[in-house]
Amino acid sequence: MKQEHRDYLFLAVLAAVVIGVTAWSGSPVWYLNIIFLCLFGGVFYAAGSWHDRAFYLVCAGEPLIVACGIMNIWAGLFAMWMVAGLVCNAMGMLEFSHELKIFVLFCGVTVPLAILIHVSNHVVLPLLILAAGTGAIFAVETIRDHQFRKQYGAHP
Amino acid sequence: MRRCAQGLSLVIIVIISCAYILDDLTLLLAGGILLAALLGQYLLFLYRFRGIVTSVAVQRSLERSQVRKGMILRVETTVTITVPPPMTARISDSIPLQVAIQDGDTSIPVEPDLNSRTYQLKYRIMPVMHGNCRFPGISLTVRNVFFENSIALFADPFSGPELLVQPVGMFDPSNRQSTAESHEVEKLKVVSGFGIRALREYYMGDDLRRIDWKLSAKHNKLYVREYTGMVNLPPLLIVDLPWRGAPYPEADLNRMVSVVAGQAEHAIRFYQYVSILVISGANILHFTPEEKDLQHCMSVLREWMHPAERMVHEYHVHDRADIRGNVRHLETVITQGGEPGSIVFSGNLRKQYLRMMMYMQATAFTGQIARTLSSVAIDECYLFSLGCGDKSHIRQIIRQAKIAKIIVHIRLPVTDIATRDPISNLYREADTVEAFA
Repeated sequence: MKQEHRDYLFLAVLAAVVIGVTAWSGSPVWYLNIIFLCLFGGVFYAAGSWHDRAFYLVCAGEPLIVACGIMNIWAGLFAMWMVAGLVCNAMGMLEFSHELKIFVLFCGVTVPLAILIHVSNHVVLPLLILAAGTGAIFAVETIRDHQFRKQYGAHP
Repeated sequence: MRRCAQGLSLVIIVIISCAYILDDLTLLLAGGILLAALLGQYLLFLYRFRGIVTSVAVQRSLERSQVRKGMILRVETTVTITVPPPMTARISDSIPLQVAIQDGDTSIPVEPDLNSRTYQLKYRIMPVMHGNCRFPGISLTVRNVFFENSIALFADPFSGPELLVQPVGMFDPSNRQSTAESHEVEKLKVVSGFGIRALREYYMGDDLRRIDWKLSAKHNKLYVREYTGMVNLPPLLIVDLPWRGAPYPEADLNRMVSVVAGQAEHAIRFYQYVSILVISGANILHFTPEEKDLQHCMSVLREWMHPAERMVHEYHVHDRADIRGNVRHLETVITQGGEPGSIVFSGNLRKQYLRMMMYMQATAFTGQIARTLSSVAIDECYLFSLGCGDKSHIRQIIRQAKIAKIIVHIRLPVTDIATRDPISNLYREADTVEAFA
């Protein structure tokens, strides 16, 4: 499948889900979802040839994700997957099969995170867990990087 | 982090800050997932980076393992590496501090490919300090759209070989001292040098300051020192052009032409004139004695510096001195005895040599060279040759120059220097044999 085709597929699925969720939820601020979806679509077409297209897509996609997440957290998560797919596609990161697998793995990893947030009442605890996880990953990778450089970068 | 990752980090910080301030879980979901995506990219990048580093294999070769300071040396580094897409990389060869790069590329970009690819870095260096210097390794920079990381690969598999840089003084002939553009020769000259050429008995009228008092006291007789002469003469440049009818290394010829032009220019600038003899095998093509005009000199070089047609060809031509040497060697073999067959063979060969000597005459080229060398005031000459084909004429030039007490420097291509027979008499008779850089 070509890059353009993947773009249209992700965008179509995103639009369908956003419109469907908005209609299903019957939220009084339903128009926000539609506005943000139009904004995202506009940025998607306008930034077609821009150098930092992916960054503008992320910036335009975040309000849509938040708006969908306010209505339904799983709708927000799905919108996030679609936006991530469009961003990855814009960066040429879905060209090979192993990259598609990595994208699917990323979608899988976000599910426990969404569950954690879903079961939480306040921001502090999941935020601390996120920060601790990030810090632990950085610490482990720093040590591994040091060992790696020691092995390969050692002066003879 | 590159610009893309920096922008994403900013967005993550803004969203998570808003989530904390507003206590909004949806904002935290958006920021958290974005953070997870960036972290995932970071881990993926590090995983691929380590894979790329472990795939690196380096092989470095030097033109020579030891050189003198200031000589130019070619270095070839072959790097085999696997860079999977979407990563890109750049390989840079780390250069020892003691050398300066002359030309060539020490850095090369690596295109992404799932299979391993081999890249070659070719450059020339000039050692500026003497001593041992080891090539430390390579530097590798890997990047994708989010991250960039560099590593200096200095471990044993990536470093080496070691280059021994000799000081310039160790290569100077001991009987020759240079001061600026003047140098000493083993001849009696009006201007005396510093070296002692000979010691002789004192004759009436000799300068008393030249008496060697230590030797005189030892032998109870006055001895005086004869100092070497100081001369300031430009060298004769002899250019041996290849034959048009046979293949020759074109790159070496171009390099030889540029070196000859440089040497001619240097001679005119420092000595005010230069003499150039253009030959091709045993054919004298052109002789420019004591040329003072640099432009004319360059136009002569432009006119003649190309492969030439040879009217006379030589093949393993010996002169009488060579034959006499062979006869003496055979006589020694016969005198020492040995197997009967060997003695008979040596005797027959000796007879053949003696018969050859009866009819042997000096070649026309030998006479031409002798006359040319005697017509110019020189004390050293540089013979540039590509070393192609028969080298009899080089032997004749060296021999005639030695008869005229002229120092002979032979300059050959690097490949010829590397493959020449170290015990070959041809080059042993020359004072120096070096590669033209």
